[in-house]
Amino acid sequence: MAKIAIIDDDPDILDASSLVLTSKGYEVITAQNPDDGYKIVAENKPDLIILDVMMNEPDDGFFLAQKFRKNKITTPIIMYTSISKAIGIDYGINEMVPVDEYVEKPISPEQLIEKVEKLLHQHIER
Amino acid sequence: MSDNQKKKILIVDDEKNLRLGTKRLLEKEGFEVVTAENGTEGIEFGIATEFDIAIIDMKMPDYDGIQVLKAIIKKFPNTVCFIATAFASYDTAIEATRVGAFSYIPKPFSPEELLQQVSKGLEKRELSLQKESWLKEREERLLEVAFEKTRLNTIINSISDGVLVINKNGEVVLYNPAALKFLLLKNIAIEEYIIDKLPEKMAEQVNEFLKSHEIIKRSLSVQLQMKQENDLFIEATSSPVPAHDGSLAGIAIVIKNITELKKIEFLKSQFVSMVSHELKAPIAAVYGYLKLIADKTILIDPVKEGEFINRSIYRLDSLLKMVNDLLDISRMEMKNTQREIKEIDLPDIIKSILELFQLDIKKKGIGVVIENEENIQFLSGDKDEITRLFTNLISNGIKYNKQNGLLKIKFCNENDYIVTEIKDSGIGMRPDEKAKLFHEFFRAKNEFTKDISGTGLGLSIVKRIVDSYAGKIEVNSDYGSGTAFRVFLPSVKTMNKKEISDKKIIS
Repeated sequence: MAKIAIIDDDPDILDASSLVLTSKGYEVITAQNPDDGYKIVAENKPDLIILDVMMNEPDDGFFLAQKFRKNKITTPIIMYTSISKAIGIDYGINEMVPVDEYVEKPISPEQLIEKVEKLLHQHIER
Repeated sequence: MSDNQKKKILIVDDEKNLRLGTKRLLEKEGFEVVTAENGTEGIEFGIATEFDIAIIDMKMPDYDGIQVLKAIIKKFPNTVCFIATAFASYDTAIEATRVGAFSYIPKPFSPEELLQQVSKGLEKRELSLQKESWLKEREERLLEVAFEKTRLNTIINSISDGVLVINKNGEVVLYNPAALKFLLLKNIAIEEYIIDKLPEKMAEQVNEFLKSHEIIKRSLSVQLQMKQENDLFIEATSSPVPAHDGSLAGIAIVIKNITELKKIEFLKSQFVSMVSHELKAPIAAVYGYLKLIADKTILIDPVKEGEFINRSIYRLDSLLKMVNDLLDISRMEMKNTQREIKEIDLPDIIKSILELFQLDIKKKGIGVVIENEENIQFLSGDKDEITRLFTNLISNGIKYNKQNGLLKIKFCNENDYIVTEIKDSGIGMRPDEKAKLFHEFFRAKNEFTKDISGTGLGLSIVKRIVDSYAGKIEVNSDYGSGTAFRVFLPSVKTMNKKEISDKKIIS
């Protein structure tokens, strides 16, 4: 079964998301800040990364995503964001931020699983 | 004829009989007559007072008539001079009129001839005087117009908004220095075609007026960023200037500097986006837990489920706190809460706040020390506000303190201020954290703080309250060893002097 890394500074989001994914049989590793996040990905080579945009700084998630790509880590990334598009902050996927998918919080278990399965499926096909 | 209305005539003649005869004749006609028996006297009298008419003999032993005439006219150009001469010739007449004589009277002359000439001379004088007064009036009016124009220019040049007036051909009619500055132009020439020098959107707007078949009767506004990085934002409002017949004469453009406004707008949207994010985080967490619990396909053990519910309640609690804090901030910003200003004993207030925190203090084993200088002055303020201020500071002093740490509270009078120092032996702050301390939603994130909850609004509220009392707050902090806040609030004595309003004043 695939291995998934979740990087988010909110421990409750980590707990809930981990439980959803482990209940579907995925192996889950977590980190609460960008540095630890990079470390667990580099060491454990997960099949998928779920990454929160805003951690210590409002754009930590972006920089971490860029760092992964720069260092040739091509693992697919789902970006978590709680910033509503309605406020006018609309980030383009791939152009500026090298992520494969992004979802706006809050997210339900079904949505999360659907996105994860879809992305893993695509990645295996590639 | 009264004396001062009598016309004055000067007779300059060396022939005594003629002089006296003429005098008698003219006096009979109601004139005031002065006689001079030679050129020297003639000049003397003629320039001492202004005569209406002077009749000057051409040939006198000392000066000739022309010299006398010149002297008089030089002083009084409106005195009508006649040259009387027995040697009447065309040349003499020409010479006399050339230097300014009105006419000449050939000698000998009959009384009728004289009176006729005098009456013509008076008419001439009347006309000259009128002409002179008209000229003077016109000159004054011109001066006035010129003055008005300068004044208007001075006013237009000194207003801080840019003014640019364009005629219907798109040429500049009027502009002021502010317009140059806002349009980033080095110079504009009057009557220069300006439209292609204007920023694109402004040019479009001006053309809309110029090229429209019907007169646009309203003003059009456009906002432009003239320099990058928020340096200069302008708002240009163009209004049609109608001609007498209602057609378009030109366009008046007023350019305002709206940079500050834009900065505030930016801060506002930044704040809204931060608030949304902060509110959404707990919602997302609770939503995640509830969805998880509700999902029948996911099995959770009951202990874990209970933990999730408790976590949810905790997150909702902090969400509620945050909303309340936001409402407080909003109330302060709207300045619409009535203050109940009373004399307040600060040490008393602090003691009752500490009682509320007894449980937390005991749990953490914190030692509380209060150092109280004698005769601490009273503070005049709203009790709720002052309580909220110190509750936030004391709560931080406990939350961010070490287990079995120390909380030291010290009061003293310093000039017209009451100084309260709240010092903890907690985790302290790094310089960069200290710089952002009073920003909304700023919370230091490090290994010490990860388990401490807070809205990130407490110190922002503290700062607002302190500012509203014209007070001051200072922070001293060493990372790892503690933080001290010093709050300066004006004492009753000072408050009376400053006449603090009963409304909340927040910057």
